[in-house]
Amino acid sequence: MGKHGRVLGIGPTDNTSDQRTPRQPLRLIPEVARSSFVPVVPARYVTNPHEWDMTRTAPDRPRADGVPIEVTGRVCTASGRPVPNALLEIWSANLYGRYRHIEDHSGLRLDENHLGMGRVLTDDEGRYRFWAISPGAYLARPDIGRWRPKHIHMSISGGASRMITQMYFPDEPNNASDPMAILMGDAFERNIGKPRDPGGTDVEEGYDFDIVIGGRNATFFE
Amino acid sequence: MSELTSNLLPATNEDTCGPYFPIYFADPALEDLTRFDPGVVGQAAGTPIILRGRVLDRHGDLANGALLEFWQANAKGVYRTPATEGEDDVDPWFHGYGRLRTASGAYGYRTILPGAAPGRAPNITLTIFSDGINRIVTQIFFEGQTGNDTDPVLLSVGAEAPKLIAKHDGRTAGGCEVYLFDVVMAGPGETPFFDDLES
Ligand SMILES: [Fe+2]
Repeated sequence: MGKHGRVLGIGPTDNTSDQRTPRQPLRLIPEVARSSFVPVVPARYVTNPHEWDMTRTAPDRPRADGVPIEVTGRVCTASGRPVPNALLEIWSANLYGRYRHIEDHSGLRLDENHLGMGRVLTDDEGRYRFWAISPGAYLARPDIGRWRPKHIHMSISGGASRMITQMYFPDEPNNASDPMAILMGDAFERNIGKPRDPGGTDVEEGYDFDIVIGGRNATFFE
Repeated sequence: MSELTSNLLPATNEDTCGPYFPIYFADPALEDLTRFDPGVVGQAAGTPIILRGRVLDRHGDLANGALLEFWQANAKGVYRTPATEGEDDVDPWFHGYGRLRTASGAYGYRTILPGAAPGRAPNITLTIFSDGINRIVTQIFFEGQTGNDTDPVLLSVGAEAPKLIAKHDGRTAGGCEVYLFDVVMAGPGETPFFDDLES
């Protein structure tokens, strides 16, 4: 490693990335200060019992429009240690590409049976599971016709492991032009859910998405 | 990210937070570390402060929808981590982790003034998630603290150190000392950010 840290990439055709990406190389953390840069998130059990099922707004409500899917996986650090009791905060658009968020002014169709927000905890082995509606893609740059491929946002916090990421879907036509996918290069493949048989559960598709939290922070206290 | 150490698993890529981090996930207890639920007796030790400021983009516009996370030592300079578990100076009423989403790009965060950890000036680690970027990280220091002249992080950025020091705004609000700290994400006046994944 040289005298400075990573130079952050700017997502091609992403205006916000252009506005918000630091231009200077990241600075190296002096070794004596290293431990102070490792936030340890206190255990947060902030989820409601029904939130794992994002295909409905409540257990006694009908299913939202679209294909119900199950997403399962395991959260671990780069050294393979499972991250137990981690909080996964999940958000995604509905079938029509609309978020039920007060700042989503896209005008796309809302679905009265879709919230698109849920929280689950990992178990002792770092495993998680939730149901969602397979989200719609949405037009992010109407001026150049660039779409955001369908994706599910996930925020993971557990101890010194912290990550915000997105799960993408295989063989989607818009994957290749996504600014962040372009920055990931070949490693983009790691962010694609792996289709699997949903088994006997009441969903139509299943995906495995293992999450590996990289970087020095996640393994700092191992 | 370089993965020369081949016995590590390839990490999932971080990705942008996007503009729509759910406001529904807000947790008032993480937006004010001096707060207790009604009827509960308890008090984090230390001087209550409010850290106020703006998160600005390359054009000086507010960075709306940013998610800010804070991490700090308690009033005695002790972080609550696996390494300090059971130590006498851990404050049972203070875990040191805060989080808020700013709709506009302006923020106000209530906590206590961190104590100085050995060899360090008091500071708060700030992590920013937002649309268009993966996380970026820096540390916030406080005007007038004795350790500022010798702090290794402040020294490491040389003449840019003032960009990392919050200014006392000369008054108190609701019993809290008020400090001001703006973040410039990119461009002229850019805040120094640190590589906490690799360095
Ligand atoms: Fe999105």
